[in-house]
Parts: sequence; C-alpha cells; structure tokens
Amino acid sequence: MADAAKQHRVLVVEDEDNIAIALNYLLTREGYAPDRIANGGEALARIRATRPDLVLLDVMLPEVSGYEICQEIRLDPALVAVKILMMTARGSAIERKKGLALGADGFISKPFELAELRKEVRRLLGVEA
Amino acid sequence: MLDRLSLRLRILLIFAALAGGALAVLIGGLWFAYHRLGTPEMVPAFVQVGALVSFGTLGLVAGVWYLFDLNVAKPIVVLSGALRARAHTNVAGQMQGDLARYLGDLAPAANAAAHSLTETRNALAEAVARETTRLSAEKARLEALLSDVPVGVLLCSADHQLVFYNGQAVDILGSDAGPGLDRNLFDYLNDGPIRDAYQRLRESGDPDAASDILCSTKRGARVLSARMRLLSAEGGARAGHVLTLRDVTADLARQARREALMVETFDRLRRPAAALATLAEVVTVAPPEMNVPLHAEIARLSQAVTDLAARHDAARAEGWPLAATRGSDLLDGLRGRLAAIGAPVEIAADPLLLRCNGFEVIGLLAQLAEHLPSPATRLSLHEEGVDAMLRLHWIGTAVPLASLENWLATPIEAGLAGVTGRAILNAHATDIWPESHGTEQALCLPLHVLRRDTGRPKPIARAVVYDFELLSKERNAAVIDARLQDLTYVVFDTETTGLLPAQGDEVVQIAAVRIVNGRRLAGEVFDTLVNPRRKIPAVSTAVHGISDAMVQDAPMIEEVAAAFHKFAEGAVLVAHNAPFDMEFLRRTETATGLRFDNPVFDTVLLSAVVYGQHEVHTLDALTHRLGITIPEEARHTALGDTHATADAFLKLLPMLQGRGFETFGAVLMEVRRHGRLLKDLN
Repeated sequence: MADAAKQHRVLVVEDEDNIAIALNYLLTREGYAPDRIANGGEALARIRATRPDLVLLDVMLPEVSGYEICQEIRLDPALVAVKILMMTARGSAIERKKGLALGADGFISKPFELAELRKEVRRLLGVEA
Repeated sequence: MLDRLSLRLRILLIFAALAGGALAVLIGGLWFAYHRLGTPEMVPAFVQVGALVSFGTLGLVAGVWYLFDLNVAKPIVVLSGALRARAHTNVAGQMQGDLARYLGDLAPAANAAAHSLTETRNALAEAVARETTRLSAEKARLEALLSDVPVGVLLCSADHQLVFYNGQAVDILGSDAGPGLDRNLFDYLNDGPIRDAYQRLRESGDPDAASDILCSTKRGARVLSARMRLLSAEGGARAGHVLTLRDVTADLARQARREALMVETFDRLRRPAAALATLAEVVTVAPPEMNVPLHAEIARLSQAVTDLAARHDAARAEGWPLAATRGSDLLDGLRGRLAAIGAPVEIAADPLLLRCNGFEVIGLLAQLAEHLPSPATRLSLHEEGVDAMLRLHWIGTAVPLASLENWLATPIEAGLAGVTGRAILNAHATDIWPESHGTEQALCLPLHVLRRDTGRPKPIARAVVYDFELLSKERNAAVIDARLQDLTYVVFDTETTGLLPAQGDEVVQIAAVRIVNGRRLAGEVFDTLVNPRRKIPAVSTAVHGISDAMVQDAPMIEEVAAAFHKFAEGAVLVAHNAPFDMEFLRRTETATGLRFDNPVFDTVLLSAVVYGQHEVHTLDALTHRLGITIPEEARHTALGDTHATADAFLKLLPMLQGRGFETFGAVLMEVRRHGRLLKDLN
C-alpha cells in the first residue's frame, strides 16, 4: 500500500503552521509525499509547476482566497486531473455549497477527525482501503 | 299640571267643562222657574224639558268636539310633529295639506316656513359642503399618512379611553373584538406601566416630554415597546396621551436566546481552557500517560467551539432584522431593473417567502449584472435544502472570482451610497459565487427562506378610526343625568325563528352597531348568525332568508351573547320594539352568568314621544316619516334593520332635544308617560 501511495503527490495549501505540521505528519504516516505552501498568491504557480494529484486547500488564506485558487484550477484545462479537498474552520452550509460549486471535489471542516480525513483523501485519490 | 297633558286631551277637557257648565245653567234655570211658578204638578214637565235639553246640549257639544278634534286639534298635532321633523332634522317635502284644511292659512304658512328653512339650510349646506370637501381631501391625505406609519398609533383621553387608532394598532392589539372607539385602553393592555408613565409625564410638567416603556397585551402576551407623549390640554382639563406601539416580542425572545448562548459559550470554554493551561505545564515534565487527560480536554474544548459556533451561525441567520419578502416580487423588481439596463430576462420562481432586504438585493444584483461579460438572460429562484438559491444566468464566459470580489468591494450606486455588495451579503449572512457549466454561466446567491408562500394574506385593515371630540367628553355623570349626545349607544336587532320567545323561539341572527358622539361608526359592527338548536320554520325563512343550512356551523347563543355583552359594554342599548329583543338576550343570563343590565331605549317609545301615540310606530312607518330608505335587500336582515334603526335613532335624538329633553333621565320620564303603549325596560 505504501508503494502505491507514494505515487500520489499531495500539496497542502495552509497558512497556519501548526495545522500544516500535523497534516504533514499524518500524510507522511499514511505513505503519501506531502508538500506544503503557506501563501495563496504562490500556490497556483506551484500547482501549475508540480501538478499534484491532490490539493488540500484552506479557504482562508492571505492574498488570494482558497475559493479563487479552486476556481483557477478548474478553469485551467491542464489541471483537470488535480483533485481538490477544501478545508475550513467554519464549515457552514453556504461555504460548503460555494466550494463545491466552484469545483472542489470534497469539503471537510476543521478540526477534522483523522478517520474522516483519511477516508476523504483515499476517496479522492482512488486508493483502496 | 294641565300643560303636561296632550293638546287633544286638554281640548277634550275644555269641551267636557263646556257641556258640564251648560247643564249646570240649564238645571239652575229650571229650578228657578219651578220656584217662581210654585205649581208642583208642573214638575214632570220641567223634568222632561230638562232631560230633552240636556241630551240635546250634550250631543251638540260632543258633535262640535268631534269635529274640532278631527279638523283642528289632530291636524295641529300632526303639523307640529312634521314641523319638528323639519326643524331638527333634514326631512324635506310638502307637509300633509288636506288634513289641515280647516286651519285656514296655518298649513300653507307652515309649509312656507318649512320651505324657507329648507332653502336656507340648503344654501348653508352647500357652503359647508364646499369647505368640507376641501377639509376632507386634507383629512384623507393625513389619514393615508397615518395608516401607513409602520407602528401602531393610539390616542387616548385622560381617562385612557380610545379616541384614535390606526390599522397597525388593530394588528398589534389583535383582540377578538378588535379595539373600538371610546373603549378603555386597559381592555387591551396591562395598565401598570402605562399608568405609571402617564403619572410621571404629568408630574414632569414638560409638555414636550416623552416616556419610553415596555408594556404587554392582555391577550396573547405580546411584549410592546411603547412611547407615550401627553397631548396639550385645553382649559385646565387633564391631558390625553398618544401611544406609539411596536411589537418586540420576537426581538426580546431572540435577544434572550443570544444572551443564553453567550453565557453557555463562556461557561463551556472557560473550564477546558483552564484545564488545558494546567496540563500543558504538567505534560512537559510528566510521563506519557499524562497525555490522556490532555487529549480529553482538547477534545472537549474543540467540541464546545464547534457546537457553539454552529449555533451562533444559525442564530445569526435567524436574527437579522430583515423583512419577509415575496420571491416573485423580488424577481419582478429585479427584472424591471435589468430591463432598464437593456437586459430583458425570463424569470422562474418557486413560491417562497424570503427573509431579505429586497431593495438591497435588487441593487446588488443589478450592479453585478452590469459587469457581466454578456447580458443576463434568465433569473431563477428555487428551494435548495433550507435555503433558496437565486441564480442570475447568462451565456458566455465565466466570471473570475477575483473580479467578482472587486465588484463586491465597490459601493452600490442606486440609492445605497457607501454600502458595498460585500456589506449587503454580510448583512444577509450569505455569499455569492459564479457557477459554470460550459457556456452556461450563473451567479448563485443563497437567501434564507422564511416559509413557502401560501398566497398573499388578507390586507390589514389600514384605516384609521378616530373621534377627537371624545377628548373633551364629560365622563362619570350617572347615566340618568348624562346628556343624550354624551352617551355611547349600541343599536341592535335580532332575527328569530318566530315571534314567541316563551314558546321556544330562538335567535338566528344578531347585529349591532355602535354610536359614539352622535356618529354611527362604520367600522365597529357586530353581525353574526346563531345556531338556534332547532328547525327554522319555512314561514320565518321566507321573512329573513336564513335557512337551517346557513346556521348549521354558526356559534351557539351563549357564545354569541357573551361576545355581544362585551361589544355592548358601557353603552345604552337601543332597539325597535326592545322588549322583544331584550327577552331573548336576558334568557341567556343564567347560562353565561353575564347580566344585560344596560340602560335601554326603545325607538317605538321615542317615536311615540316625538310624534304622539296616534301615529303608527312600525320601523317602516318611522323610517318613512324620517326620510330614511331601507334597501329592499337589507330589510329584515338583522344588520339592515339595525342600520335603519340607528339612522332613525340619530334623527330622533335632536328632535327630543328640541322638545327640551336633554338628558337620558328626561327622556326616560317622558317615555314612561307613554308606558301604556309598551313596557319600559329600565
């Protein structure tokens, strides 16, 4: 399983360092190769350059919001294979609707439970449990 | 003593005295002649002559009296009744000339006087009408203004009787019978805070002072925010006051829920936060098993924050002071704005009632529509979960979110200077975003749904009802000494299954109107069918048109009598042939425990006082004499007859006053003199 997982590159776009550390630890333990970027303004360039399989995208980011990055990814035909899992601290119904309408593939609320995060990541990457 | 007797009785007494005097003179003459002759055998002849002449004299006097009564006394009574009617009310038309043909020029002279009076009155009426029209137009404008004020407005006299109320006040007070003029404010509102504020304002001595209070309704326990201001008092009288009312029941409940949420928030966050701080200190020097309580506290804190934030979001959505807006109205308004900027759109809307500020939402979307890469083509509003989704569609390229955010950051132009689109979205606790399906694009705006639209409600009775004369009305005079125009009257009529209450006949309909300050109040009407708990005979249905089927679901007499008792509270009851109607009401007293002890006027007796007992006093005859027309379709309906009786009563009042009967007591004494006709009920 670990070998299969290593084929999947995951980009964490998150400005809060502690959460990013936790996510990095968890994803590594699951066998993925996580990368992290804190600034929304630079995120899109990194995504275009590295074309990760999955972007864990925080909504509230400095400079450019997670929603805008999500829409840009979806408008770029070259990034059609990139899966987007949006993360928010509030998780209201309207935020969820907005995220999914803009092209996100999944939506989880912070603080997230490990099991739920693991399940969503596997679902989006098509990894067998 | 003699002047209290009627004219015809007095003339009868004069003729009787004449006959008595003639007989006395005859007997005296015969007695004198007999003594002069001194012949006892002549006695039978004297007696015969005496009897013959006596009968002849009595017959002659009786005949002359009959002709005099028929041709002089009775026409004078009729003529004076007709003159009173013309002098005190606006009855027009020729008086009966042939009846008074032996009164010489009196009838033509009376006709000429009445004609001249009518002409003068008409000229005066025309002048008054012109001025009244002008004042009415101004009054109508003011009434329209007051009826649209979005708060309830009440004006009360010094003793808290209602003098004015608008439609919103009716809505707020919302009692079963609704507020009524000259009714007491404390029938609707609890009195404590109002009396207290009134007292404070009076003691302040400041004519411009106002007092803000919270008070509550007697029924439904609504909490009202009220502002009281005193009216300027005239001539040392105690001042009345104006109350403006706003229903804050929902506001207070919302505030209480928010307050409770805040208290719970701090309570639930404080303890795990304190525990965490302590554990964080300990965990650095403690063995790994100390991680267990640390994790437990973190989980507790995290759960509390998540729960409370979700409930706060829900409370925010509920709590915005936004009006209920019909979805179709919102889309219609928006279509109009879009058409004005050259983008005619089709609309499709679910029947929804939204909680939003329609003006702001229309302004926001109209402004965004101007920035779209292609003109908008369609507007849709559909229910999605608990919200509604408003979509503005176009065909073409997608809108980048960054551009949308820029447009939202600029102030909305039309009438909302300084307010940005983002501020409007925040005020509605919502957001907006683009949606893209190939070339089909849309802006999506979720709005909070209040409920599904079940059709427009019945319009609120927006009319304002008032009578400012009530402010200066003298109160507390015992009814007996009260002036006729100062009393409140409830004129009523019943329709029944038959004419014999003692033999089981029952009421099938009852109607009543209120007369306050000499004015019939069009908006204060009591009118209901009654289930008589028995069959209505066909012969009765033929009279009043009320059938068994019509009363099948009507309330029972006990329920109706209780409501009528409330309607008639503090009023003099007036009916045509009152004993008949009162009999039915008084029969309900045992069952309801309510006593109909109001003073009573019977228009039959009042008509007898004004027109004399020889006239016919049916409702038809009385209304005909007073120039009142009862529409055929209204005759023998309780409300139609009530209106006719009330109008007749209003015309009889000045005629009674013209005869010198100024108070209820004076009329009552006169009515009792006519008691032979019908029994008085007071």
